[in-house]
Amino acid sequence: MTQFGAKIRSHAALIPATIVIGIFMIVPILIILVYSFLAPGDYGGVKPEFSTDAYQRLLFQRDLFDQMVFDPAYLKIAFRSVWVAVVSVVGCLVLGFPVAYYIACQSEERRNIYLLLITIPFWTNLLIRTYCWILVLRDTGLINGGLIRLGLIDEPLTLLYTEGAIALGLIYTYVPFMVLPIYAALERLDRRLIEAARDLYSNRWVALRHVVIPLAMPGIIAGSILVYIPALGAFIAPDLLGGGKNLMLGSLVQLQFSSARNWPFGSALAMVIMAMVLLCLFFYARSAKKNGGGIQH
Amino acid sequence: MTSAIGLNGLQKTYPGSPPVRALRNADLTINDNEFFTLLGPSGCGKTTLLRLMAGFEVPTAGELTLFGDDIAHLPPEKRPINTVFQHYSLFPHMTVLENITFGLKRLRKPDAEAKRVAQEMLDLVHLSDFSARKPDQLSGGQQQRVALARALAPQPRVLLLDEPLSALDLKLRQSMRAELKRLQRDTGITFVFVTHDQEEALAMSDRIAVMSQGEIQQVGDPATIYEFPENRFVAEFIGDADFFEAETLGGTSYKLPNGETITGPQTKAAIGAKVTLFFRPEKATLKRAGNGLSGRVSDILYLGNSTDYVVELVQGGSLTVRSENHKDGTAIAEVGSDVVVEIDPAAVRVLSA
Ligand SMILES: Nc1ncnc2c1ncn2[C@@H]1O[C@H](COP(=O)(O)OP(=O)(O)OP(=O)(O)O)[C@@H](O)[C@H]1O
Ligand SMILES: [Mg+2]
Repeated sequence: MTQFGAKIRSHAALIPATIVIGIFMIVPILIILVYSFLAPGDYGGVKPEFSTDAYQRLLFQRDLFDQMVFDPAYLKIAFRSVWVAVVSVVGCLVLGFPVAYYIACQSEERRNIYLLLITIPFWTNLLIRTYCWILVLRDTGLINGGLIRLGLIDEPLTLLYTEGAIALGLIYTYVPFMVLPIYAALERLDRRLIEAARDLYSNRWVALRHVVIPLAMPGIIAGSILVYIPALGAFIAPDLLGGGKNLMLGSLVQLQFSSARNWPFGSALAMVIMAMVLLCLFFYARSAKKNGGGIQH
Repeated sequence: MTSAIGLNGLQKTYPGSPPVRALRNADLTINDNEFFTLLGPSGCGKTTLLRLMAGFEVPTAGELTLFGDDIAHLPPEKRPINTVFQHYSLFPHMTVLENITFGLKRLRKPDAEAKRVAQEMLDLVHLSDFSARKPDQLSGGQQQRVALARALAPQPRVLLLDEPLSALDLKLRQSMRAELKRLQRDTGITFVFVTHDQEEALAMSDRIAVMSQGEIQQVGDPATIYEFPENRFVAEFIGDADFFEAETLGGTSYKLPNGETITGPQTKAAIGAKVTLFFRPEKATLKRAGNGLSGRVSDILYLGNSTDYVVELVQGGSLTVRSENHKDGTAIAEVGSDVVVEIDPAAVRVLSA
């Protein structure tokens, strides 16, 4: 009897969390899932008719004779998005790891100051910050102007509206998401282990490779996931820095819900993004399990 | 005898306000093949000296040599010296075997050789069945032995051990003492062992350096350190000691403050000079009557294999006398009984300060 009561009470304790997760996560995903199987409304929205058109459109297109033919246009966009997201993750890692390491090596009060500095970009609107990159990258921008004035180049370099510009924008936006978890892992790392490695004939780079990086791996993976997920679905940086021709999944989704007025297709794309993220997490979880119950601290 | 490690005026001052003079002017020679112990109270600079030898700290001044070569500014990975850390510092993401082969791999030994040496080391520390475990799946004593095997595997010229036994319980500590001693004898590697436990130091060492406040007070073999301490700090730190002030009368006679005389060793001090005499509590005998310093037992501490009697002397001050217990376990005297403390003149020492 008392056991039964305890069970009910422990379930009752979960109710608030269940409600929050339900309202803010499950319900929106379910709505998108349902939308993706409906037909588009004439002025946006959906018509309550079942249809798998949205998913077919991902790979096929109706030709002049109303036949379904394979069309890799969206597949290309998906690949490009994954590629740019991966480049962003790598860029964030290369930039973020040394920063995190540096901060973790500082004295206590210094660390807090640096961590605060890391979050400063979040105090300004992302749109405005991304616009600033246009000023830097465009043909008459800071970089090209400077290089021309120095006489290093005659013609401005094409910097803006490239995949590189998108990746740059994404790295700029998401690098704090990489720094913070890596910092958290490094801060917990026992300094004496580095000394032990040095004692056993490792110079500082070898110690970094064999001791610091493996032990910071949980942070590196968390940071990579935190960067990869939003980078895959981002649309502000791709829109502003990628221009029209470098369409990415995020922009495509946004387009379907706005000017293209094809909500079911936008929803289907969103489901694809989610599936790709889940796939990555699945592979991560499996490899972690194979390595003997994940990474140890 | 070759010198393994030589210190010449070695100093270490940590920056700060005020700066910490952790090691002041240390001169010391540690011989090859020796079990050498650095002994001293907490904060006296033992770890600092060890870290200087390992290469984790750079000396502020002075020379540090390894088999005659100056190593003061060599980084740790370039020194054929390994350390057993106080908290073991095993790599948590590696198995026991990977921990032990770590140094060998960095020295670019072939895999087969690394494996073979690691297996030997595991046998040496009786952990052959544990090679696939991670450090957090081992007990404290087992981790300690892995740390030992890891440091011994690359066959260093010198092994540094920073209080490696302090985290173990008494029984384990005692068996590890014997094991360490055996390892040192079997491998022939010079051991520099840090401890603040005087009993441990006496039991294990070939020679001991007693340190206090960043200075080496005395270097010698255990019996010399115990029997002939050079100053009051060493006498007090190694074992228990009874002290009393006296005045030299020339020859072997000393006058106590109450006028009684006592016989002790020859001294070079001028007649009439004030000196400190001391003896070990077990070197005095408690009698009901006879010649010696008379007093009254004020306290009795039963220690199992012996008993400490605290005697208030008639002349003032108090002494501790350690006595073996009677075979039947009864006490030699009770609190409040009048006794005489007889001191063997051969056991009395004169301290310079
Ligand atoms: N990195 C450092 N910076 C400043 N002062 C230090 C540093 N390391 C040690 N000290 C100081 O130097 C002195 C000697 O320290 P050390 O660690 O060598 O002592 P120890 O003999 O090993 O003591 P214990 O038995 O407690 O380990 C201490 O006063 C300590 O506070
Ligand atoms: Mg210490």
